[in-house]
Amino acid sequence: MAEITSSPAALAHPGPDEPHPAQVVQLGSAKGGWFRQVGWRHLVGCVALVFSLFPILFVLSAALNPVGTLSSAQLIPTGASLTNFEELFTETQYPRWFFNTMLIGLLSSAASMFISAAAAYAFSRFRFRGRRPALLAILLVQMFPALLAIVVLYLMFTTITEYYPAIGFNTPWALILIYLGGALGVNTWLMKGFFDTIPKDLDESAKVDGATHAQIFFGIILPLVRPILAVTALLGFIATVSDVMLANIFLTDPESKTVAIGLYGLVAAGRARETNFGVFAAGAIITAIPTVVLFQILQRYIVGGITAGAVKG
Amino acid sequence: MAEVVLDKVNKRYENGFHAVQDLDLVVADGEFLVLVGPSGCGKTTALRMVAGLEDISSGVLKIGDRVVNTLSPKDRDIAMVFQSYALYPHMTVADNIAYGLNLRKMEKDEIKRRVAKAADMLELGPLLDRKPKQLSGGQRQRVAMGRAIVREPQVFLMDEPLSNLDAKLRVQMRAEIAQVQQDLDVTTIYVTHDQIEAMTMGDRVAVMKAGVLQQVGSPQHLYEHPDTIFVAGFIGSPPMNMGLARVEQRDGGHTLRLGSTTLPVSDALLAEHPALTAYAGRDVAVGIRSEDMDDASVYRGEPGARLPVTVTLTEALGSEIMVHFNVDAAKVVTEDTKLLEKDAGTTDMPVHDTQGPKFVASFSPRSRVRPGADLEVAIDTDRLHLFDPSTGAAIRA
Repeated sequence: MAEITSSPAALAHPGPDEPHPAQVVQLGSAKGGWFRQVGWRHLVGCVALVFSLFPILFVLSAALNPVGTLSSAQLIPTGASLTNFEELFTETQYPRWFFNTMLIGLLSSAASMFISAAAAYAFSRFRFRGRRPALLAILLVQMFPALLAIVVLYLMFTTITEYYPAIGFNTPWALILIYLGGALGVNTWLMKGFFDTIPKDLDESAKVDGATHAQIFFGIILPLVRPILAVTALLGFIATVSDVMLANIFLTDPESKTVAIGLYGLVAAGRARETNFGVFAAGAIITAIPTVVLFQILQRYIVGGITAGAVKG
Repeated sequence: MAEVVLDKVNKRYENGFHAVQDLDLVVADGEFLVLVGPSGCGKTTALRMVAGLEDISSGVLKIGDRVVNTLSPKDRDIAMVFQSYALYPHMTVADNIAYGLNLRKMEKDEIKRRVAKAADMLELGPLLDRKPKQLSGGQRQRVAMGRAIVREPQVFLMDEPLSNLDAKLRVQMRAEIAQVQQDLDVTTIYVTHDQIEAMTMGDRVAVMKAGVLQQVGSPQHLYEHPDTIFVAGFIGSPPMNMGLARVEQRDGGHTLRLGSTTLPVSDALLAEHPALTAYAGRDVAVGIRSEDMDDASVYRGEPGARLPVTVTLTEALGSEIMVHFNVDAAKVVTEDTKLLEKDAGTTDMPVHDTQGPKFVASFSPRSRVRPGADLEVAIDTDRLHLFDPSTGAAIRA
């Protein structure tokens, strides 16, 4: 962006020793054109930036505000300190929650990405009896949110907890299992669409070269669908990290809580205006860090995928 | 190296479509066989059956001494070049070429040696570290060839490998592929819809139509002795000129009445087509190659017949002049000619519906022919082609 804007700007402002004033006038009119062509985008960008940064600034200010009630919160805090963070790590089980969240988020997004990719490969490449009905069934089932199944899930896991407590209530595994099922439908459809764009000739060429199905899947197809893998992994991670509803039902032990319900518990005690929002805000900021890092890592693939598709051939 | 034998091979799809019917074909060891035909004729399906990418509904397919009907592609010892090249976009050229060898767990040194050899052969040396998207069409085509070559397979299968290239490059690559095949002496089956590719590259050419093999033979044989109207019309550019003629018997001799012109049937012609006598009083389809006609005013020797025509269009090519005119005979209309017209319609031959069939003659450059001129066309009647207009088969013995 800087490069694009700098060159017309440089043209518009010739040095003071510019020998041809007539040319300066001409370039002056080009300056008006600069705003119409490029400048307005900066303006829009700035507005969008302020709009999206405002809540983050507010949370940041709340986290640093040592007083820490909602009523005392201001955009510019009266004094800054890290007491909220200190309190978060000493008075609550935040480290534990954070670990749980990362475990559930990373495992379930990675596993669901893999399962969906395998399913999408089958639906995209193989022709088998029941393929279309199965695809339609997946589409239909995923239209109902997991929330609708909460009662059923609760009953199922009550029994499971009795027999196999290791994957029952208050374990991350129960939640991971449910998240896997919940994301399978959307991801499979999303990926199948992407898989379909990869020419079948590639599979056949590899087949003639001597590759097995597994070798084709891992060696040829997966490297080519990286963008969609990155997207599903990222979406899956964000969804699990921010999920309150299911986690709240399945994880009641303070030990096993995720960040989302742990933090929610800090402020949901009913006296919202007096609760210490500072601690809540501090926790939220720390939780956001892994998501941002993950996005930074995966962004390369997502953007790479978009541009690779844009150029023909 | 091995011969490929197709014995009564059929392909019938689940929806009932019979793509390949009773295909009998023997491709000799080291031979370059071209499968040619209009789109949808089953040639690609036949090739994919040999490759193992398509199941064989019935019949026997042998490569070398082995029946390979149920073998998977990797166990058939074949290499295939796809129309789209099917290069792996995430691998470098070197990795693309070595992929098949790596899968077979070949020694690293041997892989290196083979890749270097293939790269040398196809002049890919400086491109080995590039990705496919950094290559031009012709280079990609070469990489696809290289991938087939390094495998040192018993059979090369090529599915229209040149159809994505521009005309000039196609001519160049045509020669290159033929050269590589000759050097390696590997049995090759090459599928194309371009009859020029078929004529120039193949040791033998197999013409297919609607899933049925029409004729197999050397390019020259197919050109000079087509078995059917379809082969006659498909092989050769421009296609063979054709018109309906009545066989008349007169004073012990025969003549062909083509519109208002009478073509004498010489002894030589009758000797080659003795069955013609049985057609006395009936119509036959007469085929005349463009080079068997010339401007009567510059014709050397005595022409077998003279055909008065009005020239509609001339195309001077330097070495020859293509002259278009209409003939007042009836058009030959069979399933074959309809299919040929449809096929030509998709390429570059507009089909005008005029009163008679449209002929194209190749005049020698000495002719001073102009569009619109009335002149006589000399016909070499010894070289006429005769077909039964109802079955489309050549009239011979």
